[in-house]
Amino acid sequence: MNLLPAIRRLWHSIAPRTSSDVEEEFVSTLDAYQEDLVRKGYPEEEARRKARIDLGQVASQNEIYRAAAGLRLFDELGGDIRHGLRALRKNPLFSAIALLTLALGIGANTAMFSLLDQVVLRLLPVSHPEQLVIVRETGNHYGNSFGANTISWPMFEDLRDNNRVFSGMFCRFPATVNMGYGDRAVQIPAELVSGSYFPTLGVGAAFGRTIAPDDAAVPDSQPVVVLSYSFWRSYFEGDRTIVGRTITLNGHAMTVIGITQPDFDGVELGVPAKVFVPIMMKTEMTPHSDGLKDRRRRLDWVTAYGRLKPGMSLEQAQLSLQPLMHSILEMEVQQPEFTRNATAADRQLFLRNRVELLPGSENGLREYMRRPLWLLVALTGAVLLLACANLANLLLARATARERELAVRLAIGAGRARIVRQLLVESLLLAGGGAIIGLALAFVAARILLRIYLPADSVTEFVISPIPDGRVLVFVMGVMLLTSLVSGLLPAVRSSRTEITLSLKDRSSALSAGSISVRKMLVGVQVALSLLLLFGAGLFVRTLRNLENLGPGFPTDHLLTFRIDPSLNGYSDEETKSFYQRLDVNLQNMPGVASVGFSAMPILKGYAWQNAIVGKDFEGMPIQEQPVLNHVSPDYFATLGIPILAGRDFTTQDVGPNNWRHDTYAVVNESFARQYFPGRNPIGQRFGLVDEMVPVSPQDIEVIGVIPDRKYRDLRETPPAQAYFPYFEDAHFRFMNIYLRTQADPHLIENELRERMRHFDPHVPIVGLQTVDEQIRFSLRTERLVASLSAVFGSLATLLAAIGLYGVMAYTVTRRTREFGLRVALGALQRDVVWLVMRDVLILIAAGLAVGVPLAFALSTLVRSQIFGLGPYDPVTLVSSTVALALVACLAGLIPALRASRVDPLQSLRNE
Amino acid sequence: MTKPVELPQGTLEMLILKAVSLGPLHGYGILLRIQQISGERLEILQGSFYTAVYRLEHRGWIKGEWGQSENSRRARFYSLSTAGVHQLKTETAKWTDMAAVVAGILNTKADEV
Repeated sequence: MNLLPAIRRLWHSIAPRTSSDVEEEFVSTLDAYQEDLVRKGYPEEEARRKARIDLGQVASQNEIYRAAAGLRLFDELGGDIRHGLRALRKNPLFSAIALLTLALGIGANTAMFSLLDQVVLRLLPVSHPEQLVIVRETGNHYGNSFGANTISWPMFEDLRDNNRVFSGMFCRFPATVNMGYGDRAVQIPAELVSGSYFPTLGVGAAFGRTIAPDDAAVPDSQPVVVLSYSFWRSYFEGDRTIVGRTITLNGHAMTVIGITQPDFDGVELGVPAKVFVPIMMKTEMTPHSDGLKDRRRRLDWVTAYGRLKPGMSLEQAQLSLQPLMHSILEMEVQQPEFTRNATAADRQLFLRNRVELLPGSENGLREYMRRPLWLLVALTGAVLLLACANLANLLLARATARERELAVRLAIGAGRARIVRQLLVESLLLAGGGAIIGLALAFVAARILLRIYLPADSVTEFVISPIPDGRVLVFVMGVMLLTSLVSGLLPAVRSSRTEITLSLKDRSSALSAGSISVRKMLVGVQVALSLLLLFGAGLFVRTLRNLENLGPGFPTDHLLTFRIDPSLNGYSDEETKSFYQRLDVNLQNMPGVASVGFSAMPILKGYAWQNAIVGKDFEGMPIQEQPVLNHVSPDYFATLGIPILAGRDFTTQDVGPNNWRHDTYAVVNESFARQYFPGRNPIGQRFGLVDEMVPVSPQDIEVIGVIPDRKYRDLRETPPAQAYFPYFEDAHFRFMNIYLRTQADPHLIENELRERMRHFDPHVPIVGLQTVDEQIRFSLRTERLVASLSAVFGSLATLLAAIGLYGVMAYTVTRRTREFGLRVALGALQRDVVWLVMRDVLILIAAGLAVGVPLAFALSTLVRSQIFGLGPYDPVTLVSSTVALALVACLAGLIPALRASRVDPLQSLRNE
Repeated sequence: MTKPVELPQGTLEMLILKAVSLGPLHGYGILLRIQQISGERLEILQGSFYTAVYRLEHRGWIKGEWGQSENSRRARFYSLSTAGVHQLKTETAKWTDMAAVVAGILNTKADEV
């Protein structure tokens, strides 16, 4: 059988002989030789000696065997590793700090960059995303707009048909629809898309087909819908037979024609669309606003995108589009709907509007996020820098401490290459250990970041993965590995060249002198960076505190809210009106509820419904910002806790005739009164809403009440002029936001509320049930993230800088022991010695601050827009962070200083 | 007594292969046989014997097996493997060739150049 020897040979190469085996064989040969010698006449003892001289020692056989078998390298490396581990274990403090620094640098940075990549940096998952741009109009908007970056449908058609810069254009409109399938109904985000959406994006279908240009040619003709891949997997459980079946959207039967390719959730990153519907079905999807059929040129509701032709840059395209835009505007300016209410000045201003192109992955979320998140990038960059500086400092310290050991080893004959290899192994062990911990930390940190950023109880559609990004991990690890190799290896290699005798005789050498100044510089860098982080931390923590304490101006505790839209169910206006009337009564009678308020616009969510105002008293005034408007129920102000300063609140009798926004009453806030009726009592005054449909907008709205200024859109704004109308006055009912002030903890009645609503009308789901406190907390997530991160990093940085300072000073003090001993012997007092050391400490700290303070000043202007309630040069923050840092650093330097002062002169002189 | 001949490097392994080719032997047996067939004229450097044996075994030219020696002691017996047979043949041929060439060079008389 030929297999056995082959296996044996293989086995031989993998598993060498054991040492006992080798020794046993050698001993048997040795014995045989020895016996032979004795037989030849050698005395016992001499025979023994001769046998061992001729053949070799038993103890060295294993080593000889392993060398012959080519295993020496493995053995040596194994030895290096064991030696390295032992060395690290013997210096637990050093190892711990080094590992922690590595882990922190790697983990924190990876987690941060992964988060940033997803929220800000990532491009759309389509082909050539860099070619996609958003087409919007800048300048004085005139008319109604639903959302940022929107244009009107007729303008989109004009741009699409006449441009020369795009290979394709499409537009979209996000909407919420009621979907029914089987016996379940759910409200989902939908995307209304033009016919060229999928082809231009280059997004295909996993099954079936996507929407084609033919599907979007004629309004209301093609009731088809495409599901997103992830929605199909989750809601329909990946059932392939759904393609071809019918689902209902807002009560209308729509045929499912396909599923999109995986990983495509629409063009708004972080806000996934679940279904895609041709834009020609808009009437059905958004029952109460019809920008499609309503061809008003100043009704902006679609977001338009274009794909740049290859080779065309964004700037070039933007420039080329201006003449086209201008001719469109000139045409619009002459439309009757524009001329009715515009003055010549308005027209001039309007003609100056321009077209602007934005990168395709831009959306409101990103614009809002961009500034603060780049801040976080800078923060993490600083931390990475700090981690590297700290690591370098530690490794340099270690290298100089081992100078003597290396000199001794060189003296007794160790090869330089061997020593360098051993140091390399040590550095790699450290880097490897740090990397493993850092990787684990990255996962944990990513989750923690996500939890700070998007608290679990927040009602959000954001989809951000907590898994760290591989590329970032590799990059960060590479940086730290490089640092540890350079700072650990370089001085060690240099020291292996050192004059051995010099090293052995005296503690000092050229190497140590050089490296100590490098270490001092590193500590200075650490101090500067720590100040930066502490100052930033101070600014951001106080900003968060300010925002939280200030609040919107009305009490937000015990306040529940949710959204509801019965019209999506196909209820008529009359049915919707009766629905809300009954709901109001029902909720008011719910136990645990103190009061109920309805509002068409949600508070503090950044939404604003605005319209131009006409009034005979302020005609001709320049149009500043239009006031924000709302429709509310009679108890709304009472529920929110906003007092009525003058006049009265709405009553249920305040319902005008079914004429949209005419002949009705309004409650305004102080800013509105100040702007539009300066110096007069606003009660009884009249104004009107600009309506493009009629030749002259009547001023038939009477002010009946005044409320104080409160925040409307978000916590940072200065309250705008606000006007509120009674909600039953609105003839077109759509969604409502319901606010409930509860008597006890609002969380306790959440489930009851859901049950009650299900009981009230099972076909109308409630959406977004949360407390207003939670809503606010969610809106402050970026501030919270920035504040917590900068606080943690600032403290950590200070700690590390202090440790670095301590290390440097301790080393310096040890080297000057003889000098101190001499001084004390010559009559210096303890405190003189302390001062000697502290002087160096203070110089070091001062040097670091000298760099750090101006840097902090320079950089803080960049974050001006992020902070609130204090200026970027806030003296209190600056002084307190500087003092805190200086104090900690001085303390760190004091310890070796005190130790130096206690040195016994006799001991120190004797030691040298 | 004739002076012992020093072994050039690398030849010890060839000799061990030759010794083992004449029949399986244990360690000491190989030593004895080399001594025997060389007429006790070879001097083996200290410690070099087993290094050579280990190397040969590692390269698969001889294979070792535990067994009983003459005096019922446990000993490791080595025999030539197939590859070893081939190696011995190659080495012998090389050595013979080289020896012939060198001898030819060294025996050149002044007038043959």
